[in-house]
Amino acid sequence: MPFGSSVSDFEHGRRLASLDVGEGGVVLRVLRDNPARAERLKALGVTPGARIRLLQRFPGFVFECDQTELAVEPSVARAILVEEDG
Amino acid sequence: MSCHVAAERAAAPAALRLRARPLKLILVGNPNVGKSVIFGRLTGRYATVSNYPGTTVGITTGRAMVGSEVCDIIDSPGVNALEGVLSEDEHVSRRLLANREADVVVQVADARNLRRALMLTAQIAGFGLPMVLVLNMVDEARRHGIEVDAARLASELGVPVVETVAVEGQGLNDLKEALPLASPARVPFTPTGDHGAWAHETAARLRRTRPASIGRFQEFLGRAVRRPATGLPIFAFVLYVIYLFVGVFGAQTLVNLIEHGLFQGYVNPAAIALSDRFVPWPPLRDFLVGEYGLITMGLTYSIAIVLPVVATFFLIFGWLEDSGYIPRLAIFSDRIFRVMGLNGKAVLPMVLGLGCDTMATMTTRILGTPKERLIAVLLLALGIPCSAQLATILGILGGISFAALLTLFGVVLVQIFLVGFLAAQVLPGERSDFILELPPLRLPGIRNLASKTLLRIRWYLWEAVPLFLVGTALLFVLDKTGLLKWVVAGGRPIVTGLLGLPEQTAQVFVMGFLRRDYGAAGLFQLAHAGQLSATQAVVALTVMTLFVPCVANFLMIIKEQGLKAAVAILVFVTTVALSTGAGLHYAFRILGVGF
Repeated sequence: MPFGSSVSDFEHGRRLASLDVGEGGVVLRVLRDNPARAERLKALGVTPGARIRLLQRFPGFVFECDQTELAVEPSVARAILVEEDG
Repeated sequence: MSCHVAAERAAAPAALRLRARPLKLILVGNPNVGKSVIFGRLTGRYATVSNYPGTTVGITTGRAMVGSEVCDIIDSPGVNALEGVLSEDEHVSRRLLANREADVVVQVADARNLRRALMLTAQIAGFGLPMVLVLNMVDEARRHGIEVDAARLASELGVPVVETVAVEGQGLNDLKEALPLASPARVPFTPTGDHGAWAHETAARLRRTRPASIGRFQEFLGRAVRRPATGLPIFAFVLYVIYLFVGVFGAQTLVNLIEHGLFQGYVNPAAIALSDRFVPWPPLRDFLVGEYGLITMGLTYSIAIVLPVVATFFLIFGWLEDSGYIPRLAIFSDRIFRVMGLNGKAVLPMVLGLGCDTMATMTTRILGTPKERLIAVLLLALGIPCSAQLATILGILGGISFAALLTLFGVVLVQIFLVGFLAAQVLPGERSDFILELPPLRLPGIRNLASKTLLRIRWYLWEAVPLFLVGTALLFVLDKTGLLKWVVAGGRPIVTGLLGLPEQTAQVFVMGFLRRDYGAAGLFQLAHAGQLSATQAVVALTVMTLFVPCVANFLMIIKEQGLKAAVAILVFVTTVALSTGAGLHYAFRILGVGF
């Protein structure tokens, strides 16, 4: 993994942006490289432990977190780490 | 519906009685949970209710009797947080709580989303104000198979918890009865101040979910509108239906009926006959029924030409608002808006601008950064025609050809895009990330739709019609004093020279400075009188569309962005409007375009 990346090799979990449509799991954490973005996601309920499922990838990412449906741009979907089901 | 009160509090005497001033109550909660519905139910005052986050901007207050007590009720914009990085609206709500401008907090929550509600509860608890928790929309939650143990929640938080279905008025009496029992919420202390884990654990413990089959259709529809393969055709279809309802039924059928039938057939002849008989003084007669008469011009324009279109637009627009469809357009437009220094969220103020640019200018507050707000305000002023103006555009160009209509909208869209792109490069600051909550898709309720449409029509009658009359009076004075000739002469180099339009268009542009739609209504009359050719109509309407919408909108820009920015926007927009018109005129001439 390139130097300076926020996800270390030792951490399990996948970025939401790398899931396929229909896949889901539980939020592990939200990367804090952009604190304002992380705060807003937290306020919308995207916090560790929340259930999350990817609904669409194109033209924008749409996912369901608990009972909230959110539309985000790709960089946001890359900042959410998910522990996959199964 | 039922109210659950912590056992130890239920026995306590009602503490809130006999005070020198009315009890102040503030409604706080996540966006789109129904605060404004509850506000309306408590006060009898209608606050605009729609199905998307950010309908309420700024605060609304109203008075209500709760039991034997007079209450001042404050409706606040939806908040996702009261701590940390806050939006402008969230700062407003935070200040109200921090300055203790309310005695009791009523937190309204979507019963489906207890976890998010509790995260907010924890932050409200930090202010130490007595509160009541309302779990709203329990009917929808049940249909989704979600049930909350309200009694246990009440005893754990130490506050009354009330279940409601506010749109149907269920549970409102329980809420009134619970108010005297309000008390500060008990939330476990965490050293980091992060209550996410507590909210998650509590919600998981007190919420029962069972599989629900209802919502399948909703899910199917949700998928259909957000996927490009089906979503774009649906979008085109929606636009077509709007065109049929507003552009054909409103702007042609109804306008014909009211303008030709009612006004030209009865109202104006009757008004002229009456004033010929009872108004002996000719100037006054002219003032009422002359060329620039209050009745023959002011009322005819505002009631006969603009009102039918505005009314049909408000109706279909309100329906779309309540369906939850509009925010979904952000998914498609995010990429385009990012080029313009905005993000998909900007689709909300832009689409709202089609209703009224002044209101939409206020809605730019939901955008994340000052740069985004400035760009959105600029683009609204430049290119988004409001309902009344859309009306006249459809009325005039609909009668000419579809190609004329496409030319106008094409040119305006290109201008919006170019100006947005340049503004994104030139203006300092950054854009925020696109993160938008999509409200559930719903079948709009007729009651809310009717209230909202009537409120907006009333608003149009009170706000816009007087301005039409003032504009007419102004034209009358200009005409009688001979100043109008000077204005027309002064405008000639621009109007006839640069834009290639007939002289009389100058006076129409004077009207356009007051309200774009009023100017457009003037063009409508010129076109009907056969004084505008098809290409001239397209040029004139394009210029009018690109002007700053109206005096009210200009005042709102000053309020939101300051005088300096407002004047800069005015000068810039006027320059763009005139140069685009000139470019279009020469392009038509050189290419020999006719419609």
